[in-house]
Amino acid sequence: MAVKELSRPQPAGSWQPTVWYRSWKFYLGALALLVVYGYGWRVTQIRLGELVRGAHLIAPFVVALASPDVMTRDQHVQAAASPFYFGGETPPPAASGGGARLMLSRVTGGIGDRVTVIGEGFVPDRRGTLWWENQIGQRQQLGSFTTDAKGRFSLAFTTPEVQGTHNTVSAEVVTGTGPLRASPTLLIVLDRMVETIFLALMGTTMGVILAVPLSFLGAKNLTANLPGGAIVYGATRAFFNIARSIEALVLAIVFTVWVGLGPFAGVLALGVHSIASLGKLYSEAIESIDAGPIEAITATGASALQVVRYAVVPQIVPQFIAFTIYRWDINVRFSTVIGFVGGGGIGFVLQQYINLLQWRQAATALWMIAIVVAILDYASAVVRERIV
Amino acid sequence: MGGGTEPILRIEHLTKVYEGGTRALSDVSFEVARGEFLIIIGLSGSGKSTLLRCINRLIEPTSGKVFFDGREVTGASQQELREIRRKIGMIFQQFNLVKRAPVVTNVLTGRLGYLPPAWSLGNYFPGSLAQGAMANLERVGIPEKAFVRADTLSGGQQQRVGIARALMQEPQLILADEPVASLDPATSHSVLRYVEELNKKDGITVLCCLHFLSLARRYGTRILAMKAGQIVYDGLPHEIDDARFKAIYGEDAVEVEIR
Repeated sequence: MAVKELSRPQPAGSWQPTVWYRSWKFYLGALALLVVYGYGWRVTQIRLGELVRGAHLIAPFVVALASPDVMTRDQHVQAAASPFYFGGETPPPAASGGGARLMLSRVTGGIGDRVTVIGEGFVPDRRGTLWWENQIGQRQQLGSFTTDAKGRFSLAFTTPEVQGTHNTVSAEVVTGTGPLRASPTLLIVLDRMVETIFLALMGTTMGVILAVPLSFLGAKNLTANLPGGAIVYGATRAFFNIARSIEALVLAIVFTVWVGLGPFAGVLALGVHSIASLGKLYSEAIESIDAGPIEAITATGASALQVVRYAVVPQIVPQFIAFTIYRWDINVRFSTVIGFVGGGGIGFVLQQYINLLQWRQAATALWMIAIVVAILDYASAVVRERIV
Repeated sequence: MGGGTEPILRIEHLTKVYEGGTRALSDVSFEVARGEFLIIIGLSGSGKSTLLRCINRLIEPTSGKVFFDGREVTGASQQELREIRRKIGMIFQQFNLVKRAPVVTNVLTGRLGYLPPAWSLGNYFPGSLAQGAMANLERVGIPEKAFVRADTLSGGQQQRVGIARALMQEPQLILADEPVASLDPATSHSVLRYVEELNKKDGITVLCCLHFLSLARRYGTRILAMKAGQIVYDGLPHEIDDARFKAIYGEDAVEVEIR
């Protein structure tokens, strides 16, 4: 057989490609790009200077990231107190407890008086804090001190300006610390993280339960032979596409209006979004299966149900599992922000911490999210690799 | 019904026009007697596969009639069609096994037509069927492969699983769609010898598409040749001489021997 000539004949005229800098189209295109990006810069209000000017505002957060509120210790405190009254009334003598006591150079006086305090019987060589407590128990720090080898200290202070007359001066010395334990923040964050993971699990499960049957209706190769199959297929696919195009965050807002704030709204939002996303992926997995076994099992006289069970299901199970794990992974990541709109989970406390400028607590939540998502990401990758 | 001189398969004026106007079969009529090993030859696209699939209505014929064992296939309801299909085994060029399933499950699926559909939800097969499946695997010489995944088997072994699956149906007729086209010559003979054994020992009628005339001459008791959707030759294997060969395959064709 003769080898076919593959090269095409040359065009008649001697056509020369234009060098780019000689082409007016190039300059027109460049101008158009310039206009587009110039306008984009303006409407998005890009002000790079703010990154520098605002740096001090975010600095505490960056510092907090390095020291999240994770662990805490119980502190043993030795305390002694002595009353100090404004307005000439003589207070009762100070109660001494635990061996330590305070002696004030005077126990009555006015705002702005200089008072010297001598403490005795404290644990030696420790740092301590002197407090002023007013009539309703509000505290302010007067100063700090270090006890000497005999457990004594002396400190002078000025009586502060406070409401009320019956005040108390107290000294506290930290005598030791207990074992390290999880901080209350860590416990709250852990609790919410568990809620987040289960929120994602329930949302994904809801998605899977409804997406599996729908995906069979959304697969062209299965609906083609059914009466009215094209309509069923079209309707299912249209539902998938419309539901998928609505962001889960928007759905979450809708559901918080419907069922109230809390994780249930989040579950519903993730569930509905998962139905559409998984349904589409599942349908495509079904469409890509090998038609041979379907043909072979149909030819044995099997019913439609048997054909699906023995020719379709074995081919799609691994892909379905992989897609489901992947979706759960996405849902865990997404459920961390669904709390921002009231959908429950860790995002709810994270938002609170940020609003209250509790950076160390916020840092704890952020680290928790990062670690959990990274672990799940890795785990789902491993599982998917094993299955497919 | 059945038995006696009634042909197992009668095809009357079968025509298939695909959507888009491709005429795969035009007015094909023939009969197949019980016990025949009928081989259909012809170029790719001549309508062989379409013909086989119209017989058990994997492809719906446009017009014409198919009678199997005295029953009309073409007018059958879904339930009747299932009953007819389970008496017609089919083996395929690409074996069409469920690759991820164990061999024995693939064999058992041949029996699905006899079982209540609800059983399949629990993947339930009666114990006697499992024994039957093992017996059929022994028959095709691969009982030791029963519990391995189907896609770990070689091509020849997979086709033998396909034959065992067809045997589970206790068929009266086997349709074989180029069963050895994906196999090497030695394996081709081994597979075809199993089919021949079913034909000779069990009396199962075989309708088999083949590419190679040498294989057709070796195994067939009768040969049909197709060209452009029509039967251009119907006769005994040894009667196909060079002139007839060129009429079937075209003037430029050269016969390739496969031994």
